[in-house]
Amino acid sequence: MTAAIEIEHITKTFGRVTALAGLDLTVEPGHVHGFLGPNGAGKSTTIRVLLGLLRADSGRTSVLGHDPWADAVALHRRLAYVPGDVELWPNLTGGEAIDLFARLRGGAHPARRDELCERFDLDPTKKGRTYSKGNRQKVALIAALASDVELLLLDEPTAGLDPLMEAVFQDCIREAKAAGRTVLLSSHILAQVEVLSDRISIIRQGRIVESGSLTELRHLTRTSVEAVTDRPAGTLGGHAGVHNLRTENGVLRFEVDGEQLAPVVRLLGELGVRGLTAHPPTLEQLLLRHYGDHAEEEVA
Amino acid sequence: MATATTTTSRAAHAVQRDSATRGTGVLLRFMLRRDRIRFPAWTLGLTLLMTYFATALETLIKTPEDLRGLSAFSASPVGALFGGPGFGFDDLTLERFLAGQYGLYIVLGAGLMGLLTVVRHTRVEESSGRAELVRANVVGRHAQLTAALALSALMAVAVAVLVGGMMAGRGFDPGGSLLFGAAIGAAALAFAGIAAVTTQLSEYPRATSGMAGAVLGAAFVLRGLGDMAAVQGAGPAWLSWLSPLGWSQQTAPYVHDRWWPLVITLAFAGAAAAAGYALSARRDLGAGLVPPRPGPPRAAPWLRDPLALAFRLQRASLIGWTVALLVGGVAFGAFTQPMLDGFEDAPADLVAVMGGSADMLSGFLGLMGLTMALVVAIFAVLAVHALRAEETEGRAEPVLATAVGRPAWIGAYLTVAAAGVPWLLLTAGVGMGVGAAVSTGDAGLIDDLVLGHLAHTPAVWSVLALGALLYGAAPRVLPATWAVVAYGTVVGFFAPILELPDGAIRVSPFEHVGEYPLVPVDVTAVLVLTVLAALVAYAAVVTFRRRDLTTPS
Repeated sequence: MTAAIEIEHITKTFGRVTALAGLDLTVEPGHVHGFLGPNGAGKSTTIRVLLGLLRADSGRTSVLGHDPWADAVALHRRLAYVPGDVELWPNLTGGEAIDLFARLRGGAHPARRDELCERFDLDPTKKGRTYSKGNRQKVALIAALASDVELLLLDEPTAGLDPLMEAVFQDCIREAKAAGRTVLLSSHILAQVEVLSDRISIIRQGRIVESGSLTELRHLTRTSVEAVTDRPAGTLGGHAGVHNLRTENGVLRFEVDGEQLAPVVRLLGELGVRGLTAHPPTLEQLLLRHYGDHAEEEVA
Repeated sequence: MATATTTTSRAAHAVQRDSATRGTGVLLRFMLRRDRIRFPAWTLGLTLLMTYFATALETLIKTPEDLRGLSAFSASPVGALFGGPGFGFDDLTLERFLAGQYGLYIVLGAGLMGLLTVVRHTRVEESSGRAELVRANVVGRHAQLTAALALSALMAVAVAVLVGGMMAGRGFDPGGSLLFGAAIGAAALAFAGIAAVTTQLSEYPRATSGMAGAVLGAAFVLRGLGDMAAVQGAGPAWLSWLSPLGWSQQTAPYVHDRWWPLVITLAFAGAAAAAGYALSARRDLGAGLVPPRPGPPRAAPWLRDPLALAFRLQRASLIGWTVALLVGGVAFGAFTQPMLDGFEDAPADLVAVMGGSADMLSGFLGLMGLTMALVVAIFAVLAVHALRAEETEGRAEPVLATAVGRPAWIGAYLTVAAAGVPWLLLTAGVGMGVGAAVSTGDAGLIDDLVLGHLAHTPAVWSVLALGALLYGAAPRVLPATWAVVAYGTVVGFFAPILELPDGAIRVSPFEHVGEYPLVPVDVTAVLVLTVLAALVAYAAVVTFRRRDLTTPS
């Protein structure tokens, strides 16, 4: 089976600014692929290359088996895009914009459109200039989700939505996945990616620094441990894979590398452990680790 | 017990009265800080415009005969429509002519200044949400409107002093000069008051300034009709007294020097402001008294391809231009006969611009065709700028992410703009033709003017295509297209005076088809320009296809 998206080592510079520095990304068909990174990491640039709106300086890009720069129009019939910052025409209503986008894409589902308007609680009779950022985002989301496409490219699609709408959005993405669609979901809302994604790629300064399923990524990372022991835990400090050991109010806290987890737990048993919590790293910690390392490099 | 209640309510009342305008002083200083460029730009700008009128006329008019020649059409009904009631034109002096003919435009500008200033500091602030931040502080309900009106009043006083001082400084009668300045400032107050009312009505800034602008337009027309009646000595001359602009003009500076019409203006401004305060108390912050109209929940069936979208986006602009060119055409055309009368003894330089004295009528009509072609060229350049705004403001991206290719997107937009060019030239030509036909009594002029206008189509197309090419190839230098229009204007109007060489004249795209009916239409030039414009437009599409899309990051 060919990949829905295949990017091989693309680069893109704007003047002296390097936006993409040899980025590789593969998205399998039918997957929800989380695309995670801070602002300015190159997420939007990557998506615009996938849309054929920007041309990469070098490297190879394939979307649904086609070159997006050369076959943009044919490809766009098969995909829908939601930009991170949706701008609408001030004197067109939201309903007009939704219909227009759907028709320009080549297919509209009136019933599905109305259902989505209801679910997202959007008033389609208001003019574009009166919508808040969240409502403009809903217009683009409804237009994208109402169309019959194979691939959804979503660039921070819920930045302006409230938690209730966020839940509606998550339902919609699950439905899209159930319908066999592929979704590339760029975000810095980590909880969202964590909940929805089959695989996650983390982008930093125009490069993918980490890619894999959530389980695979957890394997690479440290587990946070809090423990209360009978005996002082001085011996833990020198143990391989243990980081940031400290005692706060009698509670022992540290992080431990995944591969060292088993010996450390054994050691804790020997120390007479009375209380223990361990949890996998959140995506915040994943990111912090990569960018934290980066910050240290810069300082050094 | 009863006493206690009364005391409490009185105390509450006192607090309320005290707080309604609390913070006005701070807000006024803040507005002055925000408008540190705008304030002098308006006040000095209007003064400079009047200075320009005065200087230009002083240069143009050297003898009393020159003055009489100019007054010939100023004292006509058409002159009255675009000037004023012509006080003292039977014994004309330079300052009377300046105040009577050009003063109207300074008064008009002052009215615009007043209304825009009030809308900017009230409704715009509310719709952007900034007013909410301000009002959450210790700021009274009426403080923003009060401060905005105070700012307008300061601007009005500044304009009055500057214009009055400038006119007095040129040696005109000091009393009349001061009155002239005051009449200008008073108009600013009147329209600040009107804006204080309209800004309560709609929640959209454009609608509120639009309504106040419509009142300004109506005031212009009312006094125009009244003044026409006045110079003819028959008809409803009293109409001028219904217009705030009319009150300013009825002061008749340098002639009757009457101050009392300005009392009407001040009373009107005060009453309008009071109405504004009363209305503002009946609405919520951010809301308008007239609820917003909902639009269609679905797109019309025809709105389904890039061409339809391009038309929908340019529709409002096309309607606006059509109306403006039709009205402007009629107005200019109506000048034809007075112009011919007035120019019989005009300075030689002016006659040369019109193509020499041999065929004054054809020269004037031909020049009007060129003038309107240059105006429509402004439409063309603005259309390309609007196209670029679609891209830079992020509205092109979601469209291009659908099954719409780049050539279709830019092609559709340029097609609509290109179709708008002959349409607008036709509109202007018909308007001008009707005006000229009524003015001279010769209906045959309509055909001449329509052909003369339409003939310029390929010239305007070439400007449009050039703008499109710059947009496609190097969008940042798009504003350079204005240079072509500016150059065309300079060559079109001043080539004879500047004694430009032939080669320099022919660089302008407007100098090839000929100014019909003065010279016959050059069919070869029409074809060549059309083909050139098409080729350049094609190059624009190709270059746009090849570059990266500009996106807001």
